[in-house]
Amino acid sequence: MISIDKSAMSTNQIDLNNLSQEDTALEIRNLDLKYGDKQALFDVSMKIPEKQVTAFIGPSGCGKSTLLRCINRMNDLVEKCHISGEILLNGQNIYDKKVDVAALRRNVGMVFQRPNPFPKSIYENVVYGLRLQGVNNRRDLDDAAERSLRGAAIWDEVKDRLHDNAFGLSGGQQQRLVIARAIAIEPEVLLLDEPTSALDPISTLTIEELITELKSKYTVVIVTHNMQQAARVSDQTAFMYMGELVEYADTNTIFTTPRKRKTEDYITGRYG
Amino acid sequence: MSTGKWFKSGSPWIWMTGGAVSISLIAVLGLLLMIAWRGLSYFWPAEIYQWELNDPNGQPYTLIGEIYDSEEVPTERLIAAGHDFESLPGDTVKRYLVKTGNREFVGLDFRWVLATDIISRSKPENVAVIERSKNGDFFGYPIAVIENGQRLPLDDVESSFESHIERAVALNNDAVKLQKSEIGSINYALEKLRLKERGYELDEQLTDKRKLALATQRAELQAEYLLLEKQFFALREEAGRDSVVIKDMRGMEVTLRLDSILDVTYANRMGLISKVGHWFVGIGRFVSDDPREANTEGGVFPAIFGTVFMVMLMAVIVTPFGVVAAIYLHEYAKKGPVTKMIRIAVINLAGVPSIVYGVFGLGFFVYMFGGTLDQLFYPEALPTPTFGSPGVIWSALTLAILTLPVVIVSTEEGLSRIPSAVRQGSLALGATKAETLWRIVIPMASPAIMTGLILAVARAAGEVAPLMLVGVVKLAPNLPIDMNFPFVHLERKFMHLGFHIYDVGFQSPNVEAARPLVYATSFLLVSVIVSLNLTAIAVRNHLREKYRSLEH
Repeated sequence: MISIDKSAMSTNQIDLNNLSQEDTALEIRNLDLKYGDKQALFDVSMKIPEKQVTAFIGPSGCGKSTLLRCINRMNDLVEKCHISGEILLNGQNIYDKKVDVAALRRNVGMVFQRPNPFPKSIYENVVYGLRLQGVNNRRDLDDAAERSLRGAAIWDEVKDRLHDNAFGLSGGQQQRLVIARAIAIEPEVLLLDEPTSALDPISTLTIEELITELKSKYTVVIVTHNMQQAARVSDQTAFMYMGELVEYADTNTIFTTPRKRKTEDYITGRYG
Repeated sequence: MSTGKWFKSGSPWIWMTGGAVSISLIAVLGLLLMIAWRGLSYFWPAEIYQWELNDPNGQPYTLIGEIYDSEEVPTERLIAAGHDFESLPGDTVKRYLVKTGNREFVGLDFRWVLATDIISRSKPENVAVIERSKNGDFFGYPIAVIENGQRLPLDDVESSFESHIERAVALNNDAVKLQKSEIGSINYALEKLRLKERGYELDEQLTDKRKLALATQRAELQAEYLLLEKQFFALREEAGRDSVVIKDMRGMEVTLRLDSILDVTYANRMGLISKVGHWFVGIGRFVSDDPREANTEGGVFPAIFGTVFMVMLMAVIVTPFGVVAAIYLHEYAKKGPVTKMIRIAVINLAGVPSIVYGVFGLGFFVYMFGGTLDQLFYPEALPTPTFGSPGVIWSALTLAILTLPVVIVSTEEGLSRIPSAVRQGSLALGATKAETLWRIVIPMASPAIMTGLILAVARAAGEVAPLMLVGVVKLAPNLPIDMNFPFVHLERKFMHLGFHIYDVGFQSPNVEAARPLVYATSFLLVSVIVSLNLTAIAVRNHLREKYRSLEH
């Protein structure tokens, strides 16, 4: 077994199977996904609790990123991607024909593996989402920019150069800027797709600390290939393998007493 | 080192590639240098010689002129051509091409002079080069100034001559200005009135009241016209008041009216500084004056203006069109065989010979499109076409189609270079595809769009063949922009530097006189294209910088 700092783990355990309606941020029901003829997700069902950090772990190609990208319908951009099943956000199926995808994405923010700031100033990056919504009042934008940058723990580093190009920031700063950009429009859910895999250890630590802070306001779903990270930051962990959800429980249980053999093999490093 | 090793080391490869680059560079630089040298040296005041020569019958005669060219000719060829030599001068004889000017008196203003016929050659100080608005240059010695029919008793003929020329030139300029602006506007207004009346007539609304109003207006304009015409003739008469007596190379005294004289220089007396000054003045006049004498004299300003205006108009048309087409092809069109075929067709359009575009432009734009426009909106002018004849707008449109593939291809390339992570970042923030395109993708692709535009401008500015069908003329009476409402006249024909080169070089009655102009115009055309491109490149670099550094 790998050593885990137990103190960092969540103690208030939740019964994931009988999660009440109010505590559920997202419910995934019988989700199947095919890229052409190749099936990538098999009958995934899970409930993601509100204002908690849920981690998806698993070996490369297991479908954890695919599942994450289903939650804000980023897979719509992939050609020949066919999805069946339901994902409920506030009781509404996001794959319903009536759903406005842009509105959904305003509600479900996403941060990608590599920092992807726009070729604009730091300030314009942060207020991009607000400008899209037609907010142009300078005062409102300034307030939102400061609030978001503080929320992403980067305010002190950039407050004197808000109008410099975002590409001048370091990788870790860029990633926090992207998080600030995502929380500027105050989504309910924040999806993080391996947010630290392109960063150095110190930046990784900063981001991890940030994630634990973010859960007070947002439901956070994080994909990571780093098991220690999952153990450190998440409350719930889902282990996926070959497109199937193998085991889903609170992080403590998964890492100490996994019920499935595959989970145990993975977290003890026998494969993956 | 063995040959095998030498080959493996890659040195021959480096030599070969480096050599290819050097040869291209030398070719381009050599071409530019030659054009620049031959074109620009035309404006340098040449030295004027006076020769004493023997004609074939042994009679001596005098020749005044500048040396234009010289070459060695085999003596045999001259003998075969029927030339008699008193004593054989060796294998070759040098002969000079002399520009003698004085076209109306000597018949040929260029003639070959054999070195063996020359008795003596001198460089007289006081020989004058007189630049005239008709019949080219005149070489000779000013003897007297005639003012108002009276021969002035003068000691210093030259300074009096110069001051009289200045006066005549100023009066002539006033007259030309009057003719071009005021009289031109009145003619334009009269034509408008005629069209208005004809329009009423066609609509059968030409009431007596309207007829009367139009007649009054016309009478007013005509009165004004007569007044201006009087002024104009008065100016012209004043300009033609004086004349000058000049002794030419035949020893005869010739009287020249001052209203046809533009300038006088004493090239043999000029120092380096005044020659440089004269050279700059010459270049300035070349780029700012209107052409004279069937384009073989004077400047090329209308051609520069036409070229730049047409290219800019083309750029304004082709950019939005090409960008929109590229966005559809790259962003919205389903990726499949049809899109692929369209893309291949677009790329192949770039390979169609340009004259084919000219034929298409003439048939489709000018006759079909322009003809229809005329019938719909300008029936009063018919049968004289307004838009239904070649014009600058049709040239710009034809070239826009010609350069469309370039813009589409480079825009598409730019679009595909934008990282998908940035697009997804925008979409993930709740932007629609259109918003992402407008706010992120197109600004980021703008340097690539500019690259397309640069290539398009480079191609369009050098194109002549299609323009000969859809709008270029040898001599356009008016620029496409003037002071008459609506100020921009897109239906007008225009002059173009490329066509000007062809016209001056190959259609002119006086080939020798036109030759340096061909070089000068070529150099100018290259300069115009280079400066258009440099402007576009500067804009592109600015855009690149913008999407690398600050946004505002």
